[in-house]
Amino acid sequence: MNKIELEGTAHLLDELDKKLMVLLRDGRTLIGYLRSVDQFANLVLHKTIERIHVGKEYGDIPRGIFIVRGENVVLLGEIDIDREDKLPLTEISVDDVLDAQRKEQELHIEKQRLISKALKERGLQMNADLVQDDLY
Amino acid sequence: MLPLSLLRTAQNHPMLVELKNGETYNGHLVSCDNWMNINLREVICTSRDGDKFWRMPECYIRGSTIKYLRIPDEVIDMVKEETVTKNKQSRDQKGGRGGQNQRNRPAARGNFGGRANKPGGQQKLFQKNKPTKLA
Repeated sequence: MNKIELEGTAHLLDELDKKLMVLLRDGRTLIGYLRSVDQFANLVLHKTIERIHVGKEYGDIPRGIFIVRGENVVLLGEIDIDREDKLPLTEISVDDVLDAQRKEQELHIEKQRLISKALKERGLQMNADLVQDDLY
Repeated sequence: MLPLSLLRTAQNHPMLVELKNGETYNGHLVSCDNWMNINLREVICTSRDGDKFWRMPECYIRGSTIKYLRIPDEVIDMVKEETVTKNKQSRDQKGGRGGQNQRNRPAARGNFGGRANKPGGQQKLFQKNKPTKLA
């Protein structure tokens, strides 16, 4: 480790050329090799995949090179290559995972509908447009 | 190679830009600036849900509204080539200066003076300095 700890985004320089998982504000997960960063924590990800998780299953979609604008990143962390293939999750095909994701979203929407209906009956109105589906 | 320099390298290449609101724009990059503001040509805009499409000959996107950009794989290869040629140029310059030094102060080379004149020796020295990272 560096003896002198660098401030703020300068820590990211330690992660260059490592395999990282990046979580975006919209909830998406990207996994790729960090090739470059700047003072805004804009990232260049190489050989990127988008990983979609549904329950204990996941699917990977190859996406190539990303330039991610820093402000959209929630967190990022190095992937331990040695432990990567011992995941307690099962990989399924992209089609299956997209299907599962769609079903999950439909369930979520239905749940929200029931909640807002129940609230309405008790005299509380929830404006669907004001409810952010942005996770953070 | 900073992210924005890579974007500049990607000029005239096709790319996909996703905005924070989820809309995506597919088109060829015409220009960009230090704020990530960009101009695209031959654009197809896709709505957040992917169900509506618009075609436009050109568009301008304010940098602050961008979530991410996806660029083609070959752009990063162009960067690699550029870095290699750049390094080669600076290496050649250094080599030239080194030669001058040798002529001016032959004694300074001391014990290594003899070796440096062999073609093999110098090459090895430079190989050690060859950068491996993109950045």
